Amino acid sequence: MVTTTAPPSEPRARVRALPKAGMTRKRREALAAYAFLAPDTLGLLIFVAIPMVLAFGVAFFKVDGFGNYQYVGLANYKLMAGDDQLWASLKVTATYVVTFVPIAFVVSFALAMLVRNHFKGIGWVRSAFFLPNVVSLVVVGLIWQFLLVDKRGALSKILAPLGLGDVSFLGTPSLALGTYVVISVWFLMGYQMLVFLAGLKDVPKELEDAAAIDGAGPWQRFRYVIWPLLRPTSFFVVVNSTIGAVTGLQAFDLVFVLTKGGPARATSTVVLYIYEQAFTFNNMGYAAALTTVVVAILVVCTALMFGFTRGGRFDED
Amino acid sequence: MAATPSPARQFSRRSVLRGGLGALAASAAGVPLLSACGGNSSGGDAKEMSFWNFYGPSDDQGPQSKWFVDTVAEWNKNNDVKVKLRYIPGKDYLNGTTLQTAFQSGQGPDIFLISPGDFLRYYNGGVLQDLGSALSEESKKDYLPGLLEARSVDGKVYGLPMEIEPLALYYSEAAFESAGLSEADLPKTWDQTLAVAQKLTNSKRYGVMFETLPGYYQNFTWYPFLWQGDGNAIKDGKAAFDSPAAVQALQFWGETIKNKVAPRKALGDGGGDVVSNLGSGAAAMQQSGIWAVADLRAKAKNFKYGIIPHPTPDGGKPATDLGGWAFVANSKGKNPEAAAKFIAWALGSTDAAGVERQRQWNTVVKTNVPPRKSVQEAADAKGAFGEGVLKKFVSEIAPTGKPEPRFPPEVYQPIADAIQACQLNAADPAKAAADAAEKIDTFLKTYQGAPIS
Repeated sequence: MVTTTAPPSEPRARVRALPKAGMTRKRREALAAYAFLAPDTLGLLIFVAIPMVLAFGVAFFKVDGFGNYQYVGLANYKLMAGDDQLWASLKVTATYVVTFVPIAFVVSFALAMLVRNHFKGIGWVRSAFFLPNVVSLVVVGLIWQFLLVDKRGALSKILAPLGLGDVSFLGTPSLALGTYVVISVWFLMGYQMLVFLAGLKDVPKELEDAAAIDGAGPWQRFRYVIWPLLRPTSFFVVVNSTIGAVTGLQAFDLVFVLTKGGPARATSTVVLYIYEQAFTFNNMGYAAALTTVVVAILVVCTALMFGFTRGGRFDED
Repeated sequence: MAATPSPARQFSRRSVLRGGLGALAASAAGVPLLSACGGNSSGGDAKEMSFWNFYGPSDDQGPQSKWFVDTVAEWNKNNDVKVKLRYIPGKDYLNGTTLQTAFQSGQGPDIFLISPGDFLRYYNGGVLQDLGSALSEESKKDYLPGLLEARSVDGKVYGLPMEIEPLALYYSEAAFESAGLSEADLPKTWDQTLAVAQKLTNSKRYGVMFETLPGYYQNFTWYPFLWQGDGNAIKDGKAAFDSPAAVQALQFWGETIKNKVAPRKALGDGGGDVVSNLGSGAAAMQQSGIWAVADLRAKAKNFKYGIIPHPTPDGGKPATDLGGWAFVANSKGKNPEAAAKFIAWALGSTDAAGVERQRQWNTVVKTNVPPRKSVQEAADAKGAFGEGVLKKFVSEIAPTGKPEPRFPPEVYQPIADAIQACQLNAADPAKAAADAAEKIDTFLKTYQGAPIS
């Protein structure tokens, strides 16, 4: 960027000879960079960093919801050990993560491979896969509720000949979480597909061609060329979707609209539980403490993933 | 979250805001932390008071919204201290965070609506204003027995109910006819309910329907079945949930699901939405409140239906739950005295205009049982309860009712868990009741707020 903006005929000395307000080009570049970064940095600072720090502070108080703060030290953290509901909700979230993340990974990766090469109407197909992602999750929830309702939903009608017409996908504890995994995969697969597509675009065509000339079949080209080069992308998708599965929109909005944590707490995710503690029980201090624990778990998980995979580069230097 | 690579911003920023609720809690909490609890001064004499509600002025400007707007306009015409309405959509008001965050940051409204389930939370938070000085003895006596007591502590009234909403079992005449049943088959007992529901159930329809979504509303609809067997959650300040009455009520709801005569998930807005469920033919009998009469009148005019009192267990007594929201004033608001006067005037005036205002609300713009005797008489005189389902609600069902309990979340939640587990997860009712009782008992041992029942 630096060299292209300067006309090639201009001697370097001339640039130095005309300093604008005593600033070097490097300085001005830096200033511009900071100016571009500032809005985002400020946004993150005000809406993410400061609230996070404050939440950490609030976690040491008993907060009654009416502006009263009482310092209680680590009492909020000590409460957690005996809180069955917390452990149950952590289990729900863990189950959700270990099912959602791999399924979403495989499905969106398969979709990306499917729409990787150009064919007629590719734009439409890609858009169709991505479309769920632009719909509000509340609307998504309502649509699926409509499709899945007992006896009268579209799915019940399809399953009726098999004698499964009265299966309640969202009303049966053993099925509700699985249903919720399917809906969230459907919702997020388009976004992850785009990430994979971007990654696939970076795989040099020559390498694939060279492998083909050397006699590698489609599977071998995938296994030994595409897959290794896609590791950073895959890593990003896994990290991103793990975080999304724990604290993302689908962990709250979707559950809130579809089941409110029911039936019989089968979909009570940890984020929903924190919400209940904060806004139903008015235990804002405890809710803040729970949040710090969830953040800590996520940081540790992410750090472990980074550590084991060298930031997604695995065996590369 | 901080360790997220930057491209994850799309998720992380929103997820911290939405998911990491500590962030929300903290930002709400942060305001008073930083501003040293400003704006929380009590006993002010400001000239404008805010009134948060979920009726008006709404976008649709329907009759209920108009009642709120007109009532406030009438007050503002004759008083120095003005009231300003702020409309908060029902879903945000009931399940959202608007009210909670406002109070947490010392910016709560001067006047607001409260449900029985929230009464103690706000009372114990020290933000409810005693309405006594603004309320005449005549007005107090005009309320039906128990209604003011449910909103009082130590004999002081903190909230005035605006309506009574009893529950009943609605049934579809068409569904009964198509199943070859008549009015003589309408169930009177739980066993009959299960048997009739079986006959009414087919591939497209469930015989009976109760709420299945967890929450305050589900508890509210379940309590009558507990009371029918003379059970309660708390008696004499102690947990009493581990009782045969609770066990049989939990079992009854569970059996409707186990026998596949009731749905696990409702259509539309849930178990209380009669238009979407009973009205669409998805259910043949459905428990709901008196509000459904107005809903059916507005949205399913030609639908033929009737109501019956909740069927009772063997040896049980009839019971229903009298729901209903109340107006309350914020004791830390800008002008609590004037707010109390406004409430007493809007809902409690015993003059002709006051009675008419209440009659309009309870029987013209909504279908409620009026909470005051004089209003019931005025409505009767206009033929509001002359015939049909409303007559049945007022004369037969409401008299068997108890006001909705003012259980704080720590009592409501264990009961909700027991209902959910027995209804939808085939849990053992005896064990579920014992577990809930134990949790309630643990809570009561350290509870220091106002009496719960």
